[in-house]
Amino acid sequence: MKSEAPRRYPVYVPKVPRTWWLRSAPFLRFAARELTAVFAAAFSVILLLFLSALSEGRDAYAGFLRWLRLPGIVAFSAIILAAMLYHAVTWFRLTAHIQEIRLGGRLVPRGIVVAALIVVWMVVSVMVAYLHVWF
Amino acid sequence: MSGKSVALRVGRYRPEHAAEPYFDEYDVPASDDMVVLDALNYVKDHVDGSLAYRWSCRMGVCGSCGMMVNGVPRLTCSTFLREFRSEPIVVEPLRYFPVIRDLVVDMTDFLEKLRMVKPWIIRGEDKPVEEGEYLQTPDEVDRYKQFSMCINCMLCFSACPVYGQDPDFLGPAVIALAHRYNLDSRDQGRAERQKVLELNNGIWDCTFVGECTVVCPKDVDPAAAIQRSKVSTATATLRSVVWPFGGRE
Amino acid sequence: MVPPRLDELSLGDILDTSDAREVKPGIPRARRRRGPGLRELLRPEPMFWGLFSAGGFVAALLVPVHVAILGIAFAAGWLPQDALSYDRVVDLVRDPIVKLYLLGLVSLPLFHWAHRFRFAVHHQLGIRGGRRLMGLACYGTALAGTALTAFVLLRT
Repeated sequence: MKSEAPRRYPVYVPKVPRTWWLRSAPFLRFAARELTAVFAAAFSVILLLFLSALSEGRDAYAGFLRWLRLPGIVAFSAIILAAMLYHAVTWFRLTAHIQEIRLGGRLVPRGIVVAALIVVWMVVSVMVAYLHVWF
Repeated sequence: MSGKSVALRVGRYRPEHAAEPYFDEYDVPASDDMVVLDALNYVKDHVDGSLAYRWSCRMGVCGSCGMMVNGVPRLTCSTFLREFRSEPIVVEPLRYFPVIRDLVVDMTDFLEKLRMVKPWIIRGEDKPVEEGEYLQTPDEVDRYKQFSMCINCMLCFSACPVYGQDPDFLGPAVIALAHRYNLDSRDQGRAERQKVLELNNGIWDCTFVGECTVVCPKDVDPAAAIQRSKVSTATATLRSVVWPFGGRE
Repeated sequence: MVPPRLDELSLGDILDTSDAREVKPGIPRARRRRGPGLRELLRPEPMFWGLFSAGGFVAALLVPVHVAILGIAFAAGWLPQDALSYDRVVDLVRDPIVKLYLLGLVSLPLFHWAHRFRFAVHHQLGIRGGRRLMGLACYGTALAGTALTAFVLLRT
């Protein structure tokens, strides 16, 4: 039942600072987690450049491989790798939080789900590495 | 901590005197079994009767006494003074809500949004009373039980940075309660609720920060409710695109 | 002096509200919104979220090993001599299944970035306006990257 009279009382509305995410550890971790997406995009760009060089022929491809060997690029790749590993761990924990897995009617503990996803990650990585490098 | 006193720094806002909020400091005699609410009641009873704040059950089931304690949204009836190593203990009104007076916030936004998602059983057709009650197995209850524990304390709203930046956002508790009814086997109102949940300010605004779940005093886990809503909505949309015939409500 | 009757008093008679801000009737901070129209129900949010989710899995499960191989192992000389030789790689990439895999490997992380970045700009950088434009720009970039990759792969 809504009241007939319009509300008429003063309120104070505090301003929310833009640096809210710098103010506590959980929020900082959240911001770091979201930031990893930038490095995922960076990888996509590098892969696209790789494929583009490949499609242009031997010389372009050789040039790209030389670029890949630059120390700056290697350092950047290390950063991408670190970011992607942090992304993977947080992603698996988020997935375990959302997705309930039941085995024989009992709920599988979240830690186990995360561990299982890490195992999947290791298996997939080995398979991809084999196909990419030695096949 | 017996025989000691504890310093409290309490947010005040009295618009008839000043346009800006300010702080008052009080020294409250403290004992090991005291909670922040006890301290506030002491202030109100013995020191400063003008202090305004909400409370009721003092045992963590009514959801009235939510406030910021040292920057964290807490139920003051469940926050022991002995938890805090340093003083003063800072008590402020629940974050991200307009402050009406002292520690009392305006709940209108929350209540309007709660109404929008229709948190009640919606039937296509009501069963006549003679046919008896709607039966539910324990498993069917378990599906939604956790999300039914919400006491509307709004701590999750204060913990949600999305709500802080975007007051249009429906908010954790609201979506969790909508989800609770969507999961209820007696309910047939999912389609109606989806219309609200799928708006710009609904489930899609959430970025899974997860702080709402951390602060919830009843372990409702609103973050899980929201993400599961996203999953079910996305898969339902995909299914309707790939197989646009029939489908559940 | 006759005291005023209680039902004749209003809050303004008792309090000095000269410095108060009036609250408009209705929801103090949220806009009242009309019901969803057809346009709102056809919104692509579920699709964007789905792409973000798929991209998140690709970025978590596949990208680390690829970065380790291309970005680090190659330069460090840990790979066999001909692992990334032109002839071998061209041969691999000519396979249509590999092309599909590579398309996903480039495209999905881009959509993952687009979705997260669009929200991060709004929430972390606090840029309020231009949300629709930002979304368009982000997803547009991801789409462009996908199209470019498809074009390059078809050309190889």
